[in-house]
Formats: sequence, structure tokens, C-alpha cells
Amino acid sequence: MSKTVRIAPRWRRGLVLALAATTFFLDTAHAASKAYQPSSLLLIKPWISGTPADASRFLAQTTFGPTDADIQRLVKLGYLAWLDDQFAAPPTRMLDYLGWVKNTLGEDVDTNHVLEAWWLGALGGPDPGNNALIHRDQLRQRVAFALSEIFVVSTKTTLIDQFPNGQAYFYDVLVNDAFGNFRQLLEDVTLSPAMGVYLNMLSNQRTDSTKNIHPDENYAREVNQLFTVGLVLLNPDGTPQLSGGLPIPTYTQDTVKAFAHVFTGWNWADCNPAVHQNFSDCDVNWTTGANMQQPMAAFANYHDNGTRAPDDLSGKQLLNYPGAANAGLLVDGGTPQSDLKFALDNIFNHPNVGPFIGRQLIQRLVTSNPTPGYVQRIAAVFNDNGHGVRGDLKAVISAIVLDDEARNGAKKYPDSFGKLREPLLRMAHIWRAMGAQHRCGHNKVVTRSDKSVYTEHYAAQPYRYAGWYSAWSTDYLFNQRVMYANSVFNFFRPNFVPPGEMAQKNLYGPEFQITTDSQIAEVTNDVLPRAMWLDIRDTCDSTDDYGDVAIDHLRDLALAGSGQGGPADPADRLVDAYNVRFMGGQMSTYMRTTLLNYLNRIDHYWDNGGTQDWRIARIQRALYLILTSPEYAIQK
Amino acid sequence: MNFDRRKFLCKTAHAALGASVYSALGNLRLVHAAASANYSFSDYKALVCIFLYGGNDAFNMIVPTDGAHYAQYQTVRPAIALARNTLLPLNAPASGAGSPGDGGSYGFHPAMTDLQALFNQASSPVAIVANVGTLVQPVTKSQYQNGTVAVPPQLFSHNDQQAYWQSSPPSNAPITGWGGRICDLIASANASTLPMLNSLSGEDAFMRGETGNNYIMNAGDAATIDVPDSWDTNANNLKSVFDALRAAGTQGNALERTYAAQINHSLNTAAQINAAINATGMPNFDSFFPAISDSGLDRQLSTVAKLIWAANNGVAGYTGQKRQVFFVSTGGFDTHDRQLPIQPVLLGTLSRSMAGFHRALNSAGLASKATTFTASDFGRTLSCNDDGTDHGWGSHHLVIGGAVTGGRFYGDNPSHTGTAAMPSLALSAGNPNDAGYGQIIPSTSVDQYAATLAGWFGLSASDLALIFPNLTNFSVKNLGFA
Repeated sequence: MSKTVRIAPRWRRGLVLALAATTFFLDTAHAASKAYQPSSLLLIKPWISGTPADASRFLAQTTFGPTDADIQRLVKLGYLAWLDDQFAAPPTRMLDYLGWVKNTLGEDVDTNHVLEAWWLGALGGPDPGNNALIHRDQLRQRVAFALSEIFVVSTKTTLIDQFPNGQAYFYDVLVNDAFGNFRQLLEDVTLSPAMGVYLNMLSNQRTDSTKNIHPDENYAREVNQLFTVGLVLLNPDGTPQLSGGLPIPTYTQDTVKAFAHVFTGWNWADCNPAVHQNFSDCDVNWTTGANMQQPMAAFANYHDNGTRAPDDLSGKQLLNYPGAANAGLLVDGGTPQSDLKFALDNIFNHPNVGPFIGRQLIQRLVTSNPTPGYVQRIAAVFNDNGHGVRGDLKAVISAIVLDDEARNGAKKYPDSFGKLREPLLRMAHIWRAMGAQHRCGHNKVVTRSDKSVYTEHYAAQPYRYAGWYSAWSTDYLFNQRVMYANSVFNFFRPNFVPPGEMAQKNLYGPEFQITTDSQIAEVTNDVLPRAMWLDIRDTCDSTDDYGDVAIDHLRDLALAGSGQGGPADPADRLVDAYNVRFMGGQMSTYMRTTLLNYLNRIDHYWDNGGTQDWRIARIQRALYLILTSPEYAIQK
Repeated sequence: MNFDRRKFLCKTAHAALGASVYSALGNLRLVHAAASANYSFSDYKALVCIFLYGGNDAFNMIVPTDGAHYAQYQTVRPAIALARNTLLPLNAPASGAGSPGDGGSYGFHPAMTDLQALFNQASSPVAIVANVGTLVQPVTKSQYQNGTVAVPPQLFSHNDQQAYWQSSPPSNAPITGWGGRICDLIASANASTLPMLNSLSGEDAFMRGETGNNYIMNAGDAATIDVPDSWDTNANNLKSVFDALRAAGTQGNALERTYAAQINHSLNTAAQINAAINATGMPNFDSFFPAISDSGLDRQLSTVAKLIWAANNGVAGYTGQKRQVFFVSTGGFDTHDRQLPIQPVLLGTLSRSMAGFHRALNSAGLASKATTFTASDFGRTLSCNDDGTDHGWGSHHLVIGGAVTGGRFYGDNPSHTGTAAMPSLALSAGNPNDAGYGQIIPSTSVDQYAATLAGWFGLSASDLALIFPNLTNFSVKNLGFA
């Protein structure tokens, strides 16, 4: 493969500068790199992808799970070209999918369709409305999912739960801005109606002492505490600054109050307060839901700009920090828009944002316990992409996944590196890696009890009618479903420390917070039918809420054996292939030996009553044992 | 091996010291505790925590019915005031101990008919604890506004105040809760190896202890891992390989080992719990919860009743259980908007569930063995945001059980004499309890509330001081409701 030096895109040039100061060096000997002489600045070789096992590890961090095809492609392209390709891939948007369901299929859109849209993005593949269009924006979707666990909106909330288009609009903000600038993301999130409803900025109004009403502090508090700066002042490496041995609060209750007064005067885009008694009487459009997918609009009469005594808060002191514009003091007399801009700029430019957001993105993609040095390198890229641009998420994401710690952390910190795979990522992984399809695979006319008929459009894709257990109620079994957290604090907190060994070692494990005794049983049990029973070739049963999406066992038949089975025809090719596909080549010798000792015994006498090829038994059992194992559970 | 109380004391003392400045982030690291050998009981007791996620607005749960106080209430909450003639009167003493403390009379929210009936009956099992909240030490309005006395960090923040309520004080690395710490110290009370603490609604700070010996289950049962052990009759069958891969110590990474330990914990405990729930002779406790659903509060409490019954009726594996702690919850209490239509559902459910649980236990002669109490993120502001309320601080709470001396109001007061003091309902400026923006400063600390419960449970005074390091800052250490 020839290498031509092109003008690097902005994110990449910044990245190279930012990483040049580190000891970044990929330990690989990919042939293409030898033909390429790096510049003196370029100590890294991120165009190299290394072995298939290395590629699999990279894809575990950047996609919804490696597939053999993606591994081969990455090995061929190298990391940089792969990232370029991902940055250019057309976004999979939920609203597009909902539009197809509504306009082409003529179905009533509901929240289940939002989940189907999420699975379409997560699994990728042909678009159901246009099979020539292949959804392949894996990195964008993975980052959007990570952002949905930081900028949390939950469809458990009344009103949001009734408007799938509002849910989709919000998620599309995350999808659209995943490779944009963090400042834009912050503003788009702030003005999205779903967030406005969820954290009560929508219809928030200036103080009215005649009604004993004052501005709601919900968004003001959480945008600081959870979305941007956090509770305590951070060093550039993410560790807390200390004074007298104790952390220093980032802000006070008075700061929250001041922001609450700033975030007033915003409402539904089509709100006409003049025809209502109260500002909060403006309502969602119950017929069309149209205003659920338009940014909130400003209404100056209801905005506290500090000039209406005695109710307004004059001279709002926002965050103050070295370099803060006007020391964080908002001058009275602004408009809702200018005050919002000042407030979001004020938050965005706080030095905490880089380490605070950088660490959480690392935790979502790579490892629960990044070293301070790793966080500091990412924060530096957040602060400056190399061209004086702050908040360039493309540069931040690239830096996170190309960092030496992301690539070599498992070798450097074997005891603590990695993260528990999230339940939704596990499910997406097996489906992607094993070629899952909906078993029905065609449209089906269903007759209702009243003799009327309707059509179920399976479209041969796993995400269509994926079923109650499979896709719609993963919260019930796994404590996780997209945009369905119990609160704005997400399914789990970034600083959760599991009891036992990890507590003794001061190791964080966010995902362990939802890994309860029952959940771990359900996660384990879920593998059993998927690995052992359900196959893509089974007869379609549209009433089956569980097994309607199934994997393709036969694709690995050649790996499972070539002769009569038994020790003379061992299963090592199968185990080694699954080691790469599912575990990034990181299976321990103990686990490999244990698996082979068992799988090698399976031979041609193992015929399950003469109904199936004995090699399928090897495939089924290898999958079950690997996907339930503690070694697989931790992405490293 | 004895629990090392000296180390525990040393560490928690640090926490208390840190608390005086910034307690949530004090560098607390409790010892990894060994089991205590000091407690042994012939009787059985259960503590049941009902956590109301979101911050319950108790100022619309318990509302003045006398003219003067009701007028204040109506003035301070014009948009969300409940009509006076819809309130459900509470027959508490008019003055002195057991009274609301302000000479007024109070009623429940109109949706709470079940609890009203129990509160007003003879030998009432329902007590109200007035104006409870997170405190480091007593604090007045001027002390709060001038910042001269330590207060819990991040007041009015959901997550932080949930953590403070459940751990008091919270700490980092790792946080432990007072439910977990109670179990750490009293662990020797149980002969059985079953976890003493069960959560039926997920993980939270309350149940985290040093030993981590809790069990987090579904609302109705414990999920079991279905390993196909009957398959593959080869000597080396599938289950044995599954077992080999989860075996302790075979993994090379701390996260992997933690995951393996969690699988093992789940497997080893689930079968025993499910056997107990389905034990022969189990009464039909579900029938006391007419609206029971798959996973709601009713389902959780019905399951708790079954486990309490199991421990008291010689069910295999449960015979040695003398002390149990349960955590159940329900959510949706963050009523920023449309509180008037939302709250009847929330409080009606709570009232029916608590009353149903009490009646269920009572039907099996177990009512006096369990004390059930509410907890929540915080109270809500006395002032309103148009048609809802914002995050507040102090709040009233409910305790129910046969061991409770009910029909009365409890709590502490500004003179620290240990009787209830309902907060003023005046507008902010003229309200001595108002922190400045409608948030009501608690007169009773979570520590006093929790220590009263833990005292009934059997913890010694010296152990209460270990579990609640800030209890020393309050002169009244037992509120006397149980």
C-alpha cells in the first residue's frame, strides 16, 4: 500500500503537535510504515494499524464491536485513514429513520422506533428504505452514545416519553455535533426542547415576587456539575486541586442561582406568551409535535437581564477563573441571546472542561482509570487543537484513541487497564460480529382480531421489530437502554468504586454500578439462547419477542474443524479467531487452554440427534463460554 | 476475628474533622472490616428504607389545617396550595411532646387516606418526623447566610444530597452508606451467611459497606444464572468450563476479578433467596397490595414481607437471620412542573404501599418486627416555580411499624430539646427557617433520624457514634419514635 503525504486536516495537525511531546510510539512493524519517513515532529505512527488483534482492540474502543470485515479493513487502511473515513461517513440520523417509518411505511411513530433507529446506527448496515445506502458511521455513533451518557436526557420523563421526534431530535444533536466543537454541542443541547423539558429551562422565567416565583435552578446546576466543569477545581491532569488538603469547590450556590437567572426567557419555538396567562402555559404541539424538534426561542419579557428591580438579579456573577471574560460578571441589560452566549462562553472557557470532559470520554471509550498523564494530554488537545481552536471534538476523539495509553495501556497497566463492557455494547457486539439478521427477513401481513390487516416491515434488518427483550426493554434486564437513565446522573457515575478488590486499590468502575446480582445473571443468561439456540436460518416467528434476531453460526463452520473432530481435529483455529474477533487477542493462556480442552472433545459423534453438524456445537459452546467469561467482560 | 473498632473510629473521626470543612470530599477511607463478634440477638428485627427519588415535597404532604397556619401556607404557595377542606386531618396531640410543636394542626395530602387511617387509629403505627435534613451540626438562618457554620456540600443537588442522606457524611474512595455500616458492625447477629442487606431497587450509597455483603435483586425475585449443567454429559461438561472461567483468581486484571466475584456472589445467593420467597406456607402477601405491578414499590415491599416471613418461620437458610436491612424505592418526586396533578399519584401510591406493607406483616404477626422509614434527596422549596417546586433541604418523613409509637410528631427543635418543630411557612424574608430562597433549614439531622432507627435495631451507643460521626454535634441522639 503506497503512502502519499496529503495536507493533513486541521484535527490531525493539532493532534500531531499535541502528541509529539509525549512518548507516543506504536509497537508494530506494519510494512507500509517502513516506506514512510516521518517528519521530525512525528514520533507517532498512527497510520499503522498493526496486527488484526491490534485492530480489533482499536475497534472495540471506536465502534459497536469489531467484525472480521472491519478488522481487515482497518489493517489495510491504518488508523489515520480509518479515522478520516469515519469523519467523512454520512451521519445516521434518528429523524431520518422516523421519517421513513412515518412517511413510507405509514406507521404511527413511537418510542420503539427511536430504539430501532438507535440500533440501526449502532449495528450499521443497509438502510431499510434505501438498501444501497450503507450506514457505517460507527465512530460517530459510538461517540454520540458516549455523549448521551454525559448530556443525559431520559425518556422516563413525562412529556418527553410521548414525543419520539423530540427524543430523536435531541439524539441527532449529539450525532451531528459529535465531530464538531464542544461549544456548539453545549449550545445545541441547551436549546433542545427535550433538555429544556428534562431540566426545566423551558418556560423558566425571571422572578415574579407577586407570585413568589423565582427561576428554576435545575439546568443551571447540572450544566455546571455534570456537563462541563464539575464540582471541584481540577488540575490539567484531572486530579483535584487541593487547599489545606481539601478540594476547592468550582462554584457556590450563589453561582448556580446567577446562572438560573440567566437561563430565563426560553420557551417552545412557537410560543406566544401574549395569549396566555402564564409563561408556562405555552405547550408542546400535541398534534404534530413540531416544536419538539425546533430549538427553544427567546422571549425577552420573561428573561432576567438584571434591569427590572426589585425582582431581577443585577450583576450576575458567573464562573470566575483566570482569563474569564469580565471576571465572569454578566453586565446588566443584555438580551436572552447575548446573556446565554456570555454564560455558555463563560462555562466553555473554564479550565476544568478539558480534563473533566476528556476523562469521561476516555472512560466511555477506553478505560475506567486513565492515568493523570493521559487525561492531561487529552485536556491539552481540548484546550488547543494546534491551531488555537478550543473544544475541537474531532481532535479530542482522535487523541483519545491514538494515545499511547489507549493502544498500549493493557501491556503497561495489566492489572487496572480497561473498562467493563456496557450491556448495550455487548449485545451490539455479538450481533455485529456474528452477522445477525431478523429471522423473518421480509414484510409480513398480519391480521388483527377485528379482521383488519397491517404490514410488519421487517426489511431483513435486525433493528426492525427486534423484539421486547432484544431491543425495547433492555432497561428491564440490563439496567441500560438508550436515553432511559433513572436520572440526569446517568446509568452509572464516572466515580463509582465497586466494593472489594477495586475499592482497596482505589480503582473506578462506572459500569459496575449497574452490574447488580440480578443484572449480571440476566446479562449472562442472555448469551445462552443467542449463542446456543437461535440461528438466522430458523423459521420466522413474528410473535417471538426474544429470538427473532439471530446470529449466523454457519459462517464459522470452516474454522470449527475440517475433519472428524476430537483432539485430532482441534478447535484452535476457532478459538484463535474468536480471540481476535471478540477479545482483541487478549485471551489468557489459561482461558485458551481451558476452552480447547473442552471444545476439542467435541467430534462427529456429537450429532445432537443427527440434526446438526457437530462443528456447530463447537461454535455454539465457544461463543457461550467466551461471551459469559470475566475476561471478555472487560474491554482492554 | 473481631471488627477493629479502633481503626473504624480513627477513620471516621477523620471524616468528622473533614466534615467540619468540607465533609463530602474528606479523604475518608474506612478499613476493610472483619466481621464483628459482639452482637447476638434472640429477637428478629428488620429496617426498611423507602427512598423517594427526586426530592419529595413534604410541604404538600403534611399541610396545616388550622386557620392561621393554613393562611400562611396559602400565601407562600399560591399556585400549588391544596384546598383546606380536602386535607385529611391528623389527630396528633395539640401541644407538648408528640404535637407538631407550633400549636397548629395538620392534615395529610388528600391522596393519603390509608396512612391517615393508620395514623389516627389506637396504638398508631405511623409517626411523622418533622423537618429532617442533611446537617453537619445545628445551623441557624444567620449562621447559614453568613457561612459561619459548616453545612453539607452541594446542597440542593440531587446526586450529592442523595449520597449525603444515605451515607451521612458521604466520602470518597469508596463511599459507604449507613445501611452498609450498620450491617458491617452488627454482622455477627446473623448465623446465616446470607447477605444481611437486600436492595430490591438497584445500587446506591445506602447499602455500601466495608464488607460489601449486600445483595441487589429484582423487585420480585433474585435472578438466577441458568448454566446448562444437564447438557453435554461428557466428563468435562459445559458448566464445569463456565465454572473454571469464573473461578476466583484465574483472571489477570482487577476488573476481571471483580466481575468474576460478582458472578460468583450472584450465583451463590440467588437460589437461597428464591427458595425463601417461594417457601412452603408463604402467606399471600401480594393480596395486601391491590395495585401490585411487576417492579413498583408494592412488588418490592411484598417481596420484603416474604423475606421477613422466611426469617421468622424457619425457612431453610433463613433460620439464623436475626437482623435484616432492606432498601426499596420509588421515583418521580422531582416535581418542578405540574405538581398538583402529579403529586396525588406519587403520594397515593406511597400511602397505599406503606399501609399495605404494614397490614401484610400484621396479618402474619410480624408488624412489630419491622420499622419502615422514608428518605429522599431533600425537601422542596416552600416557594414555587409557577406550577412546581425547586430543590429544597429539610423535609418531613414517615415512619411505620408495630414498634413505632405513632400518631405523633417527632423531631428536634432550635432549643435542642428533642421534640418536633414544624418549620415556619412564612415568606422567605420573614421566615427564620428559610435559608433565603424557600429552602427550609432542617431542625432535625439525618444522623438523629438514622441513629434512632439504628438504636432500635440494636446498635450500641458507642457503635452509633462510629456509624454517624457527626451525631456528636447534636445533643439529642434519639428522637424516641421507636
